[in-house]
Amino acid sequence: MGKKILLVEDEKNIILGVRTCLDAVGYQVDVVEDGEDALQYINREQPDLILLDLLLPKVDGFEVLRILKGNASTSKIPVIVLTAKAGEEYRQRAQELGADAYMTKPFRPQELWDKLKQFLPEEGDR
Amino acid sequence: MNSLPQRAYLETIAKSLPDPLFVTDCSQKVIWFSDKAREIFGPETEKGRSLHEITGLDKLQQLLEEVLSRGEPLECSYEGATIKVKHLEKKYFFKVAINPIFYEGKLRGALVQLTDVTRFYEMEKIKSDFVSIVSHEFRTPLTTILMGTEMLRKGLLGEITPRGKEILEAIDQDCSRLTRLVDNLLELSRIESGTIYLEQEAIDVAGLVQEAVRPLSLQAEKKGVRLVVDLPDHLPTIYGDFNKVVWILTNLVGNALRYTEAGGSITVKVRHRGNRLFFSVQDTGCGIPRQYQDKLFRKYVQVRSKDRAAGGAGLGLAICKEIVVAHGGEIWVESEEGKGSTFTFTMPLYRQEEEI
Repeated sequence: MGKKILLVEDEKNIILGVRTCLDAVGYQVDVVEDGEDALQYINREQPDLILLDLLLPKVDGFEVLRILKGNASTSKIPVIVLTAKAGEEYRQRAQELGADAYMTKPFRPQELWDKLKQFLPEEGDR
Repeated sequence: MNSLPQRAYLETIAKSLPDPLFVTDCSQKVIWFSDKAREIFGPETEKGRSLHEITGLDKLQQLLEEVLSRGEPLECSYEGATIKVKHLEKKYFFKVAINPIFYEGKLRGALVQLTDVTRFYEMEKIKSDFVSIVSHEFRTPLTTILMGTEMLRKGLLGEITPRGKEILEAIDQDCSRLTRLVDNLLELSRIESGTIYLEQEAIDVAGLVQEAVRPLSLQAEKKGVRLVVDLPDHLPTIYGDFNKVVWILTNLVGNALRYTEAGGSITVKVRHRGNRLFFSVQDTGCGIPRQYQDKLFRKYVQVRSKDRAAGGAGLGLAICKEIVVAHGGEIWVESEEGKGSTFTFTMPLYRQEEEI
């Protein structure tokens, strides 16, 4: 069974794109569309990795990141930030809050696959 | 009219000019000022006090000192000659003009004129905020297009006809072009708003050149242009922002490639002279007409020729210049029409704080 990835994103078209892209290489993808749902989901299930947008309804991505990384039970889950915010100050803030990687939109599927491989070695790779 | 009332009349006119004006003597003491000057700088504005006492502006004092010591009008960049003044809780921006006053062949003092450019500054701010918002807003739709296109091209979503593949490749290329434009616009608006962020890291110059040239070598080969790298055996380490300097060099080589025909060559050269490194990119392309050479580094300027489609928005060199200047270097071009162009920029060899 493929690794489970949580996508936190509120743009329908990005959801379609990323989901299709991850399906294609056998990852299992769950999607939530705001920060509050993201926190609830993570408490309920332990995803292997989180793809996190920063501009989210209700609770924004920075806050989600802060809570996740501040909590011992979830702090080990790798978080890749996917965002349209290209500013250096955003990248720095996300890194300070513990983001494991930061990808600026737009990106290509290959870049996303490469990034995921970095954090999710295949079984047997270890 | 006899001369006395006429003099008083002229004085009244001068005093009511709409800009803050000061006349100082050679020791920077104010000997005359306009009504507007007092309105902006308050009742402290009195004859006999120094310009610095009245305005509290260090920068203005420095600029005046420069003019008085050289005896020549103030010459500096727009940004360099702009000062910020707070008056009645409102921020004003003034452009400074200072002219020496000579009387009977002797330097007597200077005329300091401040022009209100606040409105202009506000417009600039609105523009750069707008650019920043727009470029952010482009990124999300671009992601969908780029991802969809690549997955279709790779056949992940079913068989595509050869013609379909061609179209997808065209979409992909133009999408990359749009992404570059968005990146450049954003970079420029950041630089303009003064939030340029420079890493200060030790840079291995040979590695830097390689990093900059590598992505373009295949493109050069395809086009039949020889890409030569000419580095001396030993080069000192420089300090600066590796990625940004790579970006400059890639941009210059990319430009050269665009304007150089098959059979031509591009030479990337680095030389060490004094306390600076000189990076140059020389091509054997079509050259740049003299009248455009000075304008090249301005925003949105592009040299168009009859037989050549222009690509890009004319932002690359403007950004190059901003980055070079932020590093304490200079950039310029030498070119002759029909023979080719050489773009050169310098990087100081030492960290700025170590310079005297």
